[in-house]
Amino acid sequence: MRTKDLLMLMLKEEFRTHASYSGKHRFLSFPVFVFILSLGSGLTINKMLETITLEQFAVFAHLSAFMYGLSVGAFGLMGREYLERRYGRSNYLVAMPYLLPISFRTTFLGIYLRDAVFYMLLMLIPATLGLVGAAPFMHFSMVSIGLFFVAVLLAFLLGMSLSFLASVLYIRNLRAFVAFTAVIAALFLSQGVLNVPGLNALVPSLGFQMNVQPLGADPMTAVLYAAASLVAAAGMAALSYALVQVRINIVSQSYGDMLPAYHSRVHWLTGLNRALISKELVDLRRSGIIAKMFFAFVLPLLFLSITVWFVNYGLAIPVGFNSVFYAAMVGFIGVMMYNWLNNIDLAEYYSLLPVTVPQLIRVRILVFLLLTLGISTFFVVAISLLNGETELLWLALVVMFVTSLYMVIMTAYLTGLKTSSFLFDTSVLAKFSIMSFLPDVCLTILSFSLFADWTFAVVGIALVLGSLAVTTRILYRGIETKWLRTSF
Amino acid sequence: MPVLEAKNIVKEFGGLKALDRVSISVEKGDFFGFFGPNGAGKTTLIRILTGQLEPTSGSVSVLGIDAVKEPLRVKELIGIVPEVESPPSYLTGYEYLYFVGKVRRLANLEDRIDKWLSFFDLETKKGTICKDMSKGMRQKLMLASAFIHEPDVLFLDEPFINLDPIYQRTLREYLEEYIAKGGTVFMASHILEISEKLCNKLAIVNLGRVVAQGKIDELVGEGDNLERLFLRSVGVLLPRGE
Repeated sequence: MRTKDLLMLMLKEEFRTHASYSGKHRFLSFPVFVFILSLGSGLTINKMLETITLEQFAVFAHLSAFMYGLSVGAFGLMGREYLERRYGRSNYLVAMPYLLPISFRTTFLGIYLRDAVFYMLLMLIPATLGLVGAAPFMHFSMVSIGLFFVAVLLAFLLGMSLSFLASVLYIRNLRAFVAFTAVIAALFLSQGVLNVPGLNALVPSLGFQMNVQPLGADPMTAVLYAAASLVAAAGMAALSYALVQVRINIVSQSYGDMLPAYHSRVHWLTGLNRALISKELVDLRRSGIIAKMFFAFVLPLLFLSITVWFVNYGLAIPVGFNSVFYAAMVGFIGVMMYNWLNNIDLAEYYSLLPVTVPQLIRVRILVFLLLTLGISTFFVVAISLLNGETELLWLALVVMFVTSLYMVIMTAYLTGLKTSSFLFDTSVLAKFSIMSFLPDVCLTILSFSLFADWTFAVVGIALVLGSLAVTTRILYRGIETKWLRTSF
Repeated sequence: MPVLEAKNIVKEFGGLKALDRVSISVEKGDFFGFFGPNGAGKTTLIRILTGQLEPTSGSVSVLGIDAVKEPLRVKELIGIVPEVESPPSYLTGYEYLYFVGKVRRLANLEDRIDKWLSFFDLETKKGTICKDMSKGMRQKLMLASAFIHEPDVLFLDEPFINLDPIYQRTLREYLEEYIAKGGTVFMASHILEISEKLCNKLAIVNLGRVVAQGKIDELVGEGDNLERLFLRSVGVLLPRGE
């Protein structure tokens, strides 16, 4: 089979997988949503440029595209699960080498190309078209928009290739994966703390952007940066292709019966919840997903902690990055852990038992809290001690707890047990964005004004947290009504 | 009163009508066979009868309980074996049965688990998690999990699939004994030879509609068999003399 034909089939498969959750029309409205958001940003760019510079905006756009590429590539980590689910209800083309004379390398290349094309069509092209739409009103140069698209696409491909390489290492050798991600994390941390290496060296597409219009005019340097980006992205993709295991061995291991011990350990719960939670804990332990969750939760927290510490003490910028601001961020970051919980295994066998979808959602919320609250508390206490703000600790802990609870219950209410799929549904995404963005902005502003006007800030934070608590309660009750008639 | 009664079940997926006014009645002690070509709507009907899926219209009563309004109560009383064997990936066979027992709040759980692990010869692979099991082992585990609470009604979707001839026979004997003790079975299957020996009533569905229904003795006449009845009912022309 030609790679082109395989790519077309994989693109259809990816589209139908997404469309099967939220419907074709709703899924297709996602790029329209991105277009409108980009058009709005383009039309209001002058207002934004009153508070940030065009350079800062470019850095933000590039890092976002890079992170987007990283997250798209991270789905590669799911590759093994896809292969092992081949006997379930869903079967994927990636598992075809088991049955057909196609190599895993060919399907791997297909996945890489599929993700590059699919997510470019889903996000980058609609976002660029939004800027094109704003151009006649804001007098943007079409050449600048074209160059911006190329630069952002390079950043996206760089992130994606990096993530694919990490995925291949994860499948081949866990130690190599840990070493590789540690080096990458160290490079970015060093950049954040010491400004070494330069951001242009880590994300060369940014160097390209900074040397072309409207930010610069050094075509030779720009070409060098573009070439460096391409070589890095293609090099990592080629290395992944070379290293990908031709035949994935599914190792059969022997396990002791762990479930009864876990069931005894959660004696503080009764009945169905006790059985469900002990099973979830066994799944977590055996699936190895804890390591992935660690990277998805603890690394962003570490990065945020160092940034907060560095801004306060390294740069001594009085922007008010205090423990309360940090606690709010922790609450908002943690929510993706709920998504990981929903990706451990298929849940269809639950439909054979007297269990409902809302019951399982509630148990997963509880597991989420058990997993994250301890780590979150540790980080909030640590940053409070590092910042010498122990007087704010009580408030920070309350903020962290309420926002964590609100975010996970709001996400569970909106997306049920299929979080990653429903977040591609425009109406769900819009609700999620509004419901997370508004309290986040309010808490950020209020936390910044804590030292300027203590009473005003504390009363304001209390009002926001009160509203969040009431909303959390309403949404928690709503989970029953909303998801009761849904199939697993 | 019938143990299972479905009236005028219609199920539409998008614009496609998977089931069209299907009505079925099953009495206590019946072994009811449900047959049809691939894609005829057999699995969809089983999912509706067991409260896993809501019909577009129509009513379903299982053991006197409305399966559309109270699916949880129905699932407490019945045993289901699905078409695709899909036990949880990361539990061992013992753990899955333990989990099912705890969800169903069963007494004497250890004894029950031992009985069914032994019955299906799953003890030898005690430490294997479900995702590493063969399809046959997973099918045995799904059967054990449906039988463990000794339900009054069993809904079986292709129960013999993936089983070796020894366990096909073992299962057949168990089901005969289960019926003799007063149980009721609703089974969809393509294995007509076994089904003909087991079922006393049947329905044949084609393109979402029931095309034949009744007692097997009355529908399959002298010198006839279930295979020929099935082929005639779904419109396959038989060669002269068959």
